[in-house]
Amino acid sequence: MRWKRQIAKLRALFARQKPADDISDEIGAHLRIEEQENLDAGMLPDEARYAALRRFGNVTLVEEGSREIWSWTSLERLGQDLRYGFRQLRRALSFAVVAVLTLALGIGAVAVIFSVVDNALLHPFPYKDADGISVFHIHNLDEAGESGRLELSVPEFLDYQEQNHVFEDMTGTAVEDVLYTGPETTEQLGGAYVTTNTFQFLGVPPVLGRWITPDDGRPDAPPVFLMNYRMWQEQFHGDRSIIGTAFTLNGVSRQLIGIMPPRFQYFGVDVYLPLTLSRSGAYAAGWLGVRGMPTYLLPEERRKPGVSLQAVAADLNVIAQRLSKVYPKDYPKRFNVQPVGLASDVVGDFKAMLYILLAAVGMLLLIACSNVANLLLARATSRQKEIAIRASIGAGRGRLIRQLLAESAILAGMGGLVGILFAYWGLKAVMAAMPLDALPSESAVTLNSAVLLLTLAVTALTTILCGLAPALHAVRADLQPQLQDAGRGVNSGFRHAGLRSGLVVAEVALSIVLLAGSGLMMRSFFAVEHVDLGFNPQNILDEQLAFPKGQSSAAQQSKIFFQQLLPRIAALPGVLAVTEAVTLPPFGGPLSDVTVPGRTHTERWNAMFELCSEGWFRTMGAPLERGRLLSETDIDSARMVAVINQTLARRFFGGADPIGQRIKLNNLDLAAGTSNDGYFEIVGIVADTRNEGLQRPVLPEAFLPYTVSDFNGHALLVRTAGNPLALAKSVSRAVRAVDAGVALRRTSSIESFLKDYAFAQPRFGLVVLGAFAGIGLILVITGVFSVMAYSVSLQTHEIGIRMALGARRNGVLGMVLGRGLRLVALGIILGEIASLVLTRLLASEIWGVSARDPLTLAGIAVIIAAAGALACLLPARKASRVDPMAALRYE
Amino acid sequence: MAKRSEQDRIELVYGTLDMLILRTLRWGPTHGHGIAKSIERMSEDALKVEHGSLYPALQRLQQEGWITAEWGVSKNNQRAKYYQLTESGRRKLRAETSRWERFVRAISGVLKPAESEKTS
Repeated sequence: MRWKRQIAKLRALFARQKPADDISDEIGAHLRIEEQENLDAGMLPDEARYAALRRFGNVTLVEEGSREIWSWTSLERLGQDLRYGFRQLRRALSFAVVAVLTLALGIGAVAVIFSVVDNALLHPFPYKDADGISVFHIHNLDEAGESGRLELSVPEFLDYQEQNHVFEDMTGTAVEDVLYTGPETTEQLGGAYVTTNTFQFLGVPPVLGRWITPDDGRPDAPPVFLMNYRMWQEQFHGDRSIIGTAFTLNGVSRQLIGIMPPRFQYFGVDVYLPLTLSRSGAYAAGWLGVRGMPTYLLPEERRKPGVSLQAVAADLNVIAQRLSKVYPKDYPKRFNVQPVGLASDVVGDFKAMLYILLAAVGMLLLIACSNVANLLLARATSRQKEIAIRASIGAGRGRLIRQLLAESAILAGMGGLVGILFAYWGLKAVMAAMPLDALPSESAVTLNSAVLLLTLAVTALTTILCGLAPALHAVRADLQPQLQDAGRGVNSGFRHAGLRSGLVVAEVALSIVLLAGSGLMMRSFFAVEHVDLGFNPQNILDEQLAFPKGQSSAAQQSKIFFQQLLPRIAALPGVLAVTEAVTLPPFGGPLSDVTVPGRTHTERWNAMFELCSEGWFRTMGAPLERGRLLSETDIDSARMVAVINQTLARRFFGGADPIGQRIKLNNLDLAAGTSNDGYFEIVGIVADTRNEGLQRPVLPEAFLPYTVSDFNGHALLVRTAGNPLALAKSVSRAVRAVDAGVALRRTSSIESFLKDYAFAQPRFGLVVLGAFAGIGLILVITGVFSVMAYSVSLQTHEIGIRMALGARRNGVLGMVLGRGLRLVALGIILGEIASLVLTRLLASEIWGVSARDPLTLAGIAVIIAAAGALACLLPARKASRVDPMAALRYE
Repeated sequence: MAKRSEQDRIELVYGTLDMLILRTLRWGPTHGHGIAKSIERMSEDALKVEHGSLYPALQRLQQEGWITAEWGVSKNNQRAKYYQLTESGRRKLRAETSRWERFVRAISGVLKPAESEKTS
């Protein structure tokens, strides 16, 4: 029935006249009728009026009571409470400022990390129904981790497309560089060949022009392409008239049919070209890929409505088991198919880091809340008299609790507002520290409405967290003793001692966990930074080159090019060595299936291959272990010889001597004219250098003369005497002098590459987690300090008595210090125990150090103990300087 | 236990006044003064209507939709606000009356043996 009255109230709120508006008229009428009756009964006029008024009672009260029925009294009371709270807080300004700033730090930190999580993890993509899009790995069960093969061969792709029961649609993409021949320059563009259903699948309309549709895949369709917004802006300054014009891409004239919107960064490429699949392979008009048509595609699928990832896994596993018989070499012995949502796949292992940070900010918020709770508790204690008076003149417990909660709501609300301001800056700082490619490039990380809503919820939670316990404590006491108590209570302050101590212990424990996390990140970062690469990364210039496609006999061309270029660069002052290379250390070359004659093995053997010139070993500084290095003659005459790394020798030859043995790399396309049984003679073994990044073990690798293949992916590595980037200009001049048609794609140094990619994620974790832990530490110090200072101020009298009775200053100092440090020590113990349990969640993010690293855990215990002692010291000194006479007289 | 009986008493007082107002209005539209007067008259002045309760109650009954109000002119040619029972008000009155009767029967059932105890 209650809702009926609320609706009536709501309707009245918007009505021109409220039913109770004429209440005074109504009462006036009532009085006149009564008066008339009195007159009729024979009273005198004055007497009749007074009698009516007397009989009626308090007119104003009746009016108010009637009007109140139509209003929301609880809301109005809330307004009163808030106004009163504001007045109270204005009177205690420094308290309010400290509390608001503390909460703002906590709430702001939560808002920052939640915006990253929300935008990058929960809603990173502008695609239609992005939640329904997934990808799947074929995961080798004999390997740790959750990754696996993502790409499918073209026939495999078609098999999955035709045989599955769970997908609405399935797209495939081959990412390939595309050479754009402009009027003046030749440029390497990032390109993606996509199946023609891709754009309907993603559902993002172009800002200009039209999509690629299935019609564009027909064999007789004219070649077309789509351009990314950034390229359109940067190179064509948003010129709308370029739609419909022809561009020469990979030597083929293609019509530009549309521009994709800014947030569309599918695979992060510049241009999209249509691709048609058939059992015999892939087909794209004007394709001139170096190794023929793409043989592998990256698929993405949209699940049918209501189909879960588990159902997808079940369906795909059946298909995969069937296909593993058809393509036995592409499937591991024991495997399963693991589908994952698109977002979790793109963000990948960075996800764990974000969740860790989310947990960290949660702890930070808890520390901030317990700090403010402590401050409120101290305030409530000193306001006991006020509360007692309010209670004694009729304020109910509920009303008092509401009043105190209103105060914490004001603090939390202002904390939330300031926190959003902090978050605005904090988010900029975090995004600046964010490792490249850690987040999907489509995600726009901003403080959006979801974040603001969450902040609101967090603020409400904060109100309860930090306000409820003090409020309940404040109204629990009996009124009598408090009203009698003359003022500064001897006992009253100790009433909350238990709760206060509990909060301090909890704070210290939380900050131990935070510090443990960031300590481990720090150790892990240093471990990664000090990995033995096997080569010296300093002073190596890396120059990625892009060759015009469509040239005949690419191997011959590039051989001539490099034969002219390498001596020129070697002759530059400051250059110590130079080599042709395929890849960028610490990452090795492409992975290939390996055949070693005379050695039987049941598993597939894989090795990386690096196509290089004789300068490789000097450039990298990889020492020769046995045999000999590649020679200039080997390179010039494209001899089928190989130098292998130690891991390859160990893994494929065991105890036998590999020198003089032969090895075949099945995935390497040999250039026309090379001796074509495909076997390389092993001539030497070099020491291992990292080739799978810093953290993963070295894979088998073979170093081959680059002249044996026309594999297109050439780079230069130049070992310099000084700063490598200082030589970039002269190197690029040398390149242009040899062939102006060769484009420079990327110039960097190995050192900066390591900084951007290998060290960025651990550094990000270290910086952000470290900042949170630092804030937590400061909050804990202020928290411990304020609690100790407060309890000392309550104990002044007691200390005075002790000193009057002969206690020495040092004794008092020790007593206060001891009391504080006991709490800190308890917090440290609890925090260390919690850390041992919780840091295991960090395991995926740390490397080279145990999640229970005793050094880290001991180190932070020392830090917190020192910080705690510091925070106790000041109040303790103050206590020891109490003048007994003054303290006693004070009472 | 003590808390509960207190709540019951408050509810009883509210509910009773509402019921009495509805009952009075069964005889036709009346203004606030008339309602108070007739309740007092009908109870032979055993019940005294507080105007501080009467007028808020009238607002509440309007919100529930059991009565409506309209300005009119009394027989003494006085302008006054007249309250009238609605159909749902009539239903409510019937329900309340039977509930009240059951309540009175129950209470008397409990009280009677207590009285006999006293006399014995």
